[in-house]
Parts: sequence; structure tokens; C-alpha cells
Amino acid sequence: MLTRRYFMRASAIAVAGMGAAPSWLVRAAAPGETKGKILIAIFQRGAADGLNIVVPHFEKRYYELRPTIAIQPPGKENGAIDLDGRFGLHPSLQPLKPFWDSGNLAIVHAAGSPDGNRSHFEAQDSMESGTSGRITEDGWLNRALPPLTADASAVRAVAIGAKMPRTLRGDRGAIAVSDLQQFRVRNEGASSILESMYAKAADAQLVAQGKRTFDALKTIESISKAPYTPANGAQYFGEFGNGLRQIARLIKANVGVEAAFAEIGGWDHHSNENGQLPPLLQQYGNSLAAFAKDMGDRMEDIVLVTMSEFGRTAAEDGNNGTDHGHGNVMFVFGGPVRGGRTLGQWPGLEPEQLFERRDLAVTTDFRSVLSELVSGHLGQKADAAFPGYVSTERLGLLRT
Amino acid sequence: MKRPFSVVAVVMASALSVSTSAAERFDQKLPADKHALHALNRLTFGARAADLAEVKRLGIEKWIDLQLHPERIPENPDLAARINALTTLQLATWQILEKYPLAPVMLRIESPLQSLTALQVCKLMQGAPVDERRAVIDGLTPELRRQFLAFGPRQALDGLSDLQQEAASARQADQQARQMEIRKLMPPLNELLTPEQIRTARTGTDADKLALFNSFDADKRKQVIRALGPQALVNFPDLRREALAAQQPAGYVNQELVEHKLLRALYSNRQLEEVLVDFWMNHFNVFNGKAQERQLITSYERDAIRPNVFGHFRDLLLATAQHPAMLLYLDNWQSQVLRDDIRPAIGPNGAPLPRPGLNENYGREILELHTLGVDGGYTQEDVIAVARAFSGWTIYDIGRYAEFQFNPAGHDRKEKRVLGHTLPAGRGQQDGLDVIDMLARHPSTAKFISKKLAQRFVADAPPASLVDRMAATFTKTDGDIRAVLQTMFASPEFFSEGAWRAKFKSPLEIVTSSVRALNADVTDTFVLSQRIADLGQPLYGKVEPTGYPNTGETWTNSAGILGRIDFASALTGGQIPGARVDVSRFNFKTPAAVAADVLGTTPSAATLSAIEKGVQAKEATPSMITALVISSPDFQSR
Repeated sequence: MLTRRYFMRASAIAVAGMGAAPSWLVRAAAPGETKGKILIAIFQRGAADGLNIVVPHFEKRYYELRPTIAIQPPGKENGAIDLDGRFGLHPSLQPLKPFWDSGNLAIVHAAGSPDGNRSHFEAQDSMESGTSGRITEDGWLNRALPPLTADASAVRAVAIGAKMPRTLRGDRGAIAVSDLQQFRVRNEGASSILESMYAKAADAQLVAQGKRTFDALKTIESISKAPYTPANGAQYFGEFGNGLRQIARLIKANVGVEAAFAEIGGWDHHSNENGQLPPLLQQYGNSLAAFAKDMGDRMEDIVLVTMSEFGRTAAEDGNNGTDHGHGNVMFVFGGPVRGGRTLGQWPGLEPEQLFERRDLAVTTDFRSVLSELVSGHLGQKADAAFPGYVSTERLGLLRT
Repeated sequence: MKRPFSVVAVVMASALSVSTSAAERFDQKLPADKHALHALNRLTFGARAADLAEVKRLGIEKWIDLQLHPERIPENPDLAARINALTTLQLATWQILEKYPLAPVMLRIESPLQSLTALQVCKLMQGAPVDERRAVIDGLTPELRRQFLAFGPRQALDGLSDLQQEAASARQADQQARQMEIRKLMPPLNELLTPEQIRTARTGTDADKLALFNSFDADKRKQVIRALGPQALVNFPDLRREALAAQQPAGYVNQELVEHKLLRALYSNRQLEEVLVDFWMNHFNVFNGKAQERQLITSYERDAIRPNVFGHFRDLLLATAQHPAMLLYLDNWQSQVLRDDIRPAIGPNGAPLPRPGLNENYGREILELHTLGVDGGYTQEDVIAVARAFSGWTIYDIGRYAEFQFNPAGHDRKEKRVLGHTLPAGRGQQDGLDVIDMLARHPSTAKFISKKLAQRFVADAPPASLVDRMAATFTKTDGDIRAVLQTMFASPEFFSEGAWRAKFKSPLEIVTSSVRALNADVTDTFVLSQRIADLGQPLYGKVEPTGYPNTGETWTNSAGILGRIDFASALTGGQIPGARVDVSRFNFKTPAAVAADVLGTTPSAATLSAIEKGVQAKEATPSMITALVISSPDFQSR
């Protein structure tokens, strides 16, 4: 029981410690605003098996290399969903077929990092760094954003998850949110007290980071208050689905999201791949499709790009699975995408065409794909995002 | 902030002002009344009121000297009892390998080739014509034939498509049989319990859960605990341990190591020793997620690191170089001289696998991260030469003993030039030992190590004058770490304004200092260790060989602030299982008094006024005030 002198009328508190609402919040609320472009990076952690996700069913070699785990050609039972007579989608990715047909899904096969590192963590780190074989402290998507200005949205760059992924690390202002409902100060009364403490902290970094956190808190709290129903009957399931749902919710709240990141793990199928891949792809494909359905017309401004640190061996291993490989498949998905095509040069699966005679080769550098999106979609300089890399090809991923 | 004026300008301005004044501030002496708190902030995992009194009683210099000689400090008897309960800590690696495998049920598949004659193997593996291979396979006993088809090397069936199909179905059948056997040995939860029971086990009260578990016979109870898993049992430490040991034996070993580390950090009287074990484990980082590391790190910390933290750097360097945990982590155990005379093995698609050869990983990292530092003056040629010097430093029988072994057959005996010195041809292990000596004595190493120590104990950007003096001690004493520490603690820069509260706490430090400042009673460290991981610092879990940084900007850059606020609230609100906080000693105390007690010093004006204004609005409990103090920017620094 505290003595009476620590009690006061509530009105004084409302003023103390609360800054004026950031100008972008006020501005962005106006309807009919031109909304900015959004790039969403999806990372499949664990080396997804690109050859079984987008199946080269025209290749006899594919069936020789994978007698047990190959996906059957279109028309057969559990066969691939034909895309263009050469490649087909894994049957569990049925939800994505309509987007291929409508020209909103492009596929780049035999893509990846030229660096032959087959260590999950090192390869993930260097891919997220936007380099080949090097690790930088900050990530490509953070560097791809325009520098912070005073009125930049606190939630301009959002990573779904408990920790900031390397992709969005850096000084351009990103936050990590695992769950919008949980992104708050437990004790509501404490929030404004803490905000004023951090506003005047001695450490300048802490002041900046504090401001970002509390601005984001206010934004997210105001969003989380309203219940959210996905539009057009979209239904998300699974953790990955829930992550995309949060991103959808944030984007629709028009609070200035420019970049987002989500990840999905569990792809490291060294054994029993055909037991594990279908349910994972179901969640994956369904979540991407649900997101597009939910966003509706807004997809005109959004591009999602998927990647994985490397692919898997062309041949199956002795446990109905595959080992770590090299080239992989990337999806580019969204309204502005010139889809319905498989891009990149298919290197073939003959022994001398494989990387180190074991893996699908890489014929398209992942940075080619990403730079085109950074410059063509976000309108930013690609060389800042990918230092030391000059893209030599144009894949033509976007409609101009 | 009342107006959203330019954040960038403010940040730049204050950053500049901080850096210019910091240089002067290392020249400014810290007032004597702050020395005790400062020494505790740096040499321990968090100051406690009782420690402050003790330091003042003994006198700073005496206290520091004691901490530098931990054998003179009687250890906390409670702590010893709790640590003795963690039995895996005492085990030798071979015992851990035997008792705590990587996966709970190892269903071994013996290579079918072992049962064949040499001629049969030769025909099958070396590409004999189709009909000869078919004859061999058909000549096997039915059981062996089935095994061979299911698990034998693929190349033996090249061109035998009917056998390949048979092989596919044999594999599938075996897969199913194996899965069924695993289900029998380790049934899933829904085969052990009714839906009602599962509900109780997952969401019932603690009393109901215990009643349920105790209602089963011993065998069934074991299965249920295993199937539930450690996360569902956080309120029952013993059962949680049992579940973890059943699900992930090697993970259990790792968790005991984490528990040991936290208990020592929280309760040991030999605090500086614990800080140094953390520092050196981090400097010679290994990652518990790689391969068999979890089975090796217990010995690594106990045998390679801990005995050497105050000793000579060269001994520490050699101990890590020869420890299986490091040999595995940085791949040196597979590094060997390229042998042109050995036929390469055949891979799964019939092509020859790349021949094992030199692996430069350790050669590079020992120079870049362990000794000279990235700017220490070595070249790519040095990296290769160092790798060649360590070729053949490998692990003996990694599955059963995992001990250091020098393999002469893998060692490159040609002459090598490392950092300007010639290692003559024709030698063995001595090459690596000479490199160890050379690196330990290199002037860049003295600087690099001194700077890292100064970053950990003094400030993120320690003044060159201090680093130079420490490096001089390092060189003069042949790398005596204790002597270098003594130079540092006795330096004017250590007790200076520039060093005062200049370090931002890492997740480990914020959690341990909170527990210590509140005198919390920790009976189980499991959830605490998860919180540290959530804040970004999984213990023993740093992937990169750089280890966790000794400077603060990583922690301020990540989404850590909300996490720290949340942790403070959870800890003081009694919501961290295993950690009990009693805030009743703060009853009737003013915010200023609470803050002074927890921080060990007066809070900043901003923090104090924010708390005082805040508590006037509502009936703020001691728990809430303490949470605010622990969440404050003040408490984030040490």
C-alpha cells in the first residue's frame, strides 16, 4: 500500500510522455492515397528440394536419378501439375496453379548462390547478406530500403519472428514481430513511462531504437485492437500461414510497410522426403495463395520472392531423401510480375552438367533475381543492396 | 519527444558528442565512491547490495586481487550441491558418447557389403558387366539379397532396372517396418493417453498433472513423459529433465551445461573466473548445433577452457587447437594432405567423389579470430601454410572416443613458410606446435587479445594507451592472462569516467544481473536460458566462429528492447518458472529508493521522473516499480 502522495489525477499522465502522433500515421490514414510498393522476402530454411517442387518432368534423367522419390509426370497418379510441357508443380502446390495461369507467378529454376558452400548456416547467412560466400552484418533487404528519414514509418520493414533475420538487419529501421497481438508492453500503464525513459537515455543508439520500438508499438496496438478477417474468404493455416496473415494485416492497415520477411523451416529432407514434403508444401502453397486472395487488388503493389540457401542432390540418397545440393528454384509472385513462365537457363541433369557431378547447377545468380526486384519494383539502387555484384542478365520479371 | 523533429540529426549530433568527449573522459578519474559498483559491474555478472558492502569492507584492490585468485575464495556450498546433481558435467567424452547418443533410438543399418566376399564386392562396385552383377545378387541368400537391394550402393544396380524396382519396394517396406518399430519403442502421445488425459497433461493444473503421471506404472510414466516433451513440463524440473533426456539425450547433456553455466554466473563467489570462462568460450567459439558438438562441449569447457582462463594464452590456444570440439567445429579433423596415390571413393551416381584434402577453415580462423586478428598482418598464403601445418590433427574414433589424434598419414610434410618463418620439411606434429608458439607470441596477438579484453571489461572503444600497455604486459609475461588483467584493472582508464556505465549489457548479462540485483532464488534455469536465447544469445548456440560480440551495438540494433521490457515484467511478476523473486523488501519504499537499491546508484533524472510520474497515476506495486527499474535504460548499462 503506497501512501497517498503517489496518487494523482489521470489527466496529467495522458500528456506526459506521449509524443505527438508521427506525421506519416496521420497522412497515411487518408483514403485514396497512392500506396507504395512492397517487397516480401520468403526464406525456406533447410535447403528446399527445388527439383521436387518444380519438377523437370521432361527429363528422363530425373527419373533415373530418383527412382523412389521422383514426382510422377503429369497425368499419372499423384503426378506433377503441368506448367509448360517441361516443368510441373508438385501436386501439393495446386493452390498456386491459378496464379501461374493468370500470369502472376514466375519461376526461376537452377538459381542460387555461385558459392558452393553446403553448410546450412553459412549459406543462409551469406544469402541473407546478399553476397556470395561472404557474411555482412546487415542484410540485402535492409540495404535495399531508402535511408531513414524523420517521418519514416516505424513499421516500414517488418520481419515475422522472434529474432531479426539477417536479411533485414541494418540501420534502415526494421522491427521483428512474432505476433501482433503479443507486440505490446504487458503492463499497459508502463508503456508511456518506459517511452519517456528511453526518449532521454544517455546512449544515442538506445534513444533511436527506443523511438522505433515505441512508435511501432503504438502503430501495432492500434491495428491489433480491431479484429481481423481475411478478405475474399482466404484461409491461412500453419505457422507460416499465420506469419503471412500478420503481414497482410499490417499492409492493409496502411501504416507504411515497404518490406517484409517471413520464413518457413523444415525442408532438410535427408530421409523419407515423400513423407515430409507434401504436408510442408501444402502449408506453403496454401499460405501464399491465401495471402494473394486476402490482399486482392492490393497485390498490384506487392511482389513476393522465395529463396532457399541451396538445393538438394540430383540423385536420391539411400534413405529416400536427398543430401545438400546447389541450384534451386525461386518463385516470384505478385501483381506486377510477368508470370506464367519458367525463367533461367536449364542446365540439364547429365553427370557432366551437374555441379560437382552431383547437384543441379546454378545458372542464375539469386542476386540477379533480387536486384531486378529491388530496382524494378522498389525503385531503389541494386548495388547498395548487393555490393560488388553487377547483374549481367535481365530476366524480365516485372511488367513495365 | 514532443515533436517528430529530425531523428537523424539528433542521432548524429549525439553520437559525435559522445565520441569526442569519451576520449577525454578516459583521462578523468572516477570518484572513489563509485569504484566499488564499477568493479562489481565489470568483474561480476551483476552487482548485489551484499557484494557492495563486501567490496567496501575488503577494499577494492584486495577484492580484485582475490577475484584474480579464485582458489583463495571459498565457494558457495549451496552451489556445489546443485552442481553435483548435474551428473553429465563430470563425465568423460567417451562416457557421454556411450550414454547420450545423438538420437534416442539408433536403429543401426549394417552395410550389406560387409557380408559379401571380396570378389563379390569387387564385381558389384567396380562395374562388372550386367549379367555378372545379376549373378552375384541372385546368388545371395534371400535375406541378404533383400538387404542388399534395399541398402546397397546404387551403382551396383546400374542397368538392372527390374532389380532397381525391387530395390525401391524393398526400401519402402523397410522404411515402413522401421517406422513401426520406432512407434512401438516410442509411441506418440495419442497412443498412450485418452484425449481427456492429454487435455489434463497439457492444460490441467500442476496438481492434476502430477496426479495423472503418478497414476501410471513406471514404464508407462516414462513413455508419457518422453512423449510430452520438456516444454510441456517446465513446472516440473525433474520430469522436464527426464523428458529431455528421453527425447534428445545429447540435448540433455547440453542443457546441463547451460544450467551449470547459469548457476555459476548467478551464485558463484568466484565471479571473475566465470566471466572469463564466458569470455574465452566466446573467443574460442564452438556451436552446439553442429553434428556431434553437444557431446563434446562439456569436456571442451571443463578441460580446455576453464583450467586455462587465468594462465598463459599459449596453453589455452593449444588446448583448444587439440580439442575434438574445435577440430570438429572448424573442420580441421577432416583436413589432410591431398594424396594422389589413393583411389577416390565412388559417389551415389557412379561418379568419383572429390578426394579428401586440405580444409582451410581452421587455418583461417585461428589467424583471423583466435590470435592475430583480421588486420594482424597475415596473407592467404599464411592461411594455407597454417592449414598445412595442422593437417593430420584429427579425432580418433569420433563415435566412441572422440579424442585428439595426430594422424601422420594425413600430415603434409613439405616445407612451409608461416609469417616469415620456415617450418622445415619432414616433420610431423611439431609443425602445428611450432605454429601455436609462433601465433601465441606474435605482437599482433598481444594487441588483439588485449583489445578484446579491454572491450569486455572497459569500453567498446577502449583507448589505445590502455591496449598498448596491456599488450606490453602480454608480451613481457609471455601471454600471462592474469598479469594482463592486473594491468587493466590497475589502469587509470579502468576507473575513469570514460569507463563508467559505458557497457551495454548482453542478453546473458541483463538476465543474470536482474536475478542478482533482485536476489531471486533460481531453482531451475531452463526458462531463464530460453529467455536469454529469445533475447538473441542462445548459450553455446552461436553459429559463427566469431562468437557473440563484445560490443553493444548488436544488442541495441536487434529487436531487443521490447524483449527486455517483457523479461523484466515477467521476472518481477513471478512468471518465470524456476525463478522466484521476493519484492517485499521494497514495500513502502519510494521509487527513488527502489531504483537506488536495484541499480546500486542513483538513477538518471529522466528515469526517476518517468517512474515517479507514472506511479502517481495508479497504485503501483513494488513489483511494477522494480520491473520499471529493470526495464530502464539505466539498468541496460553496466
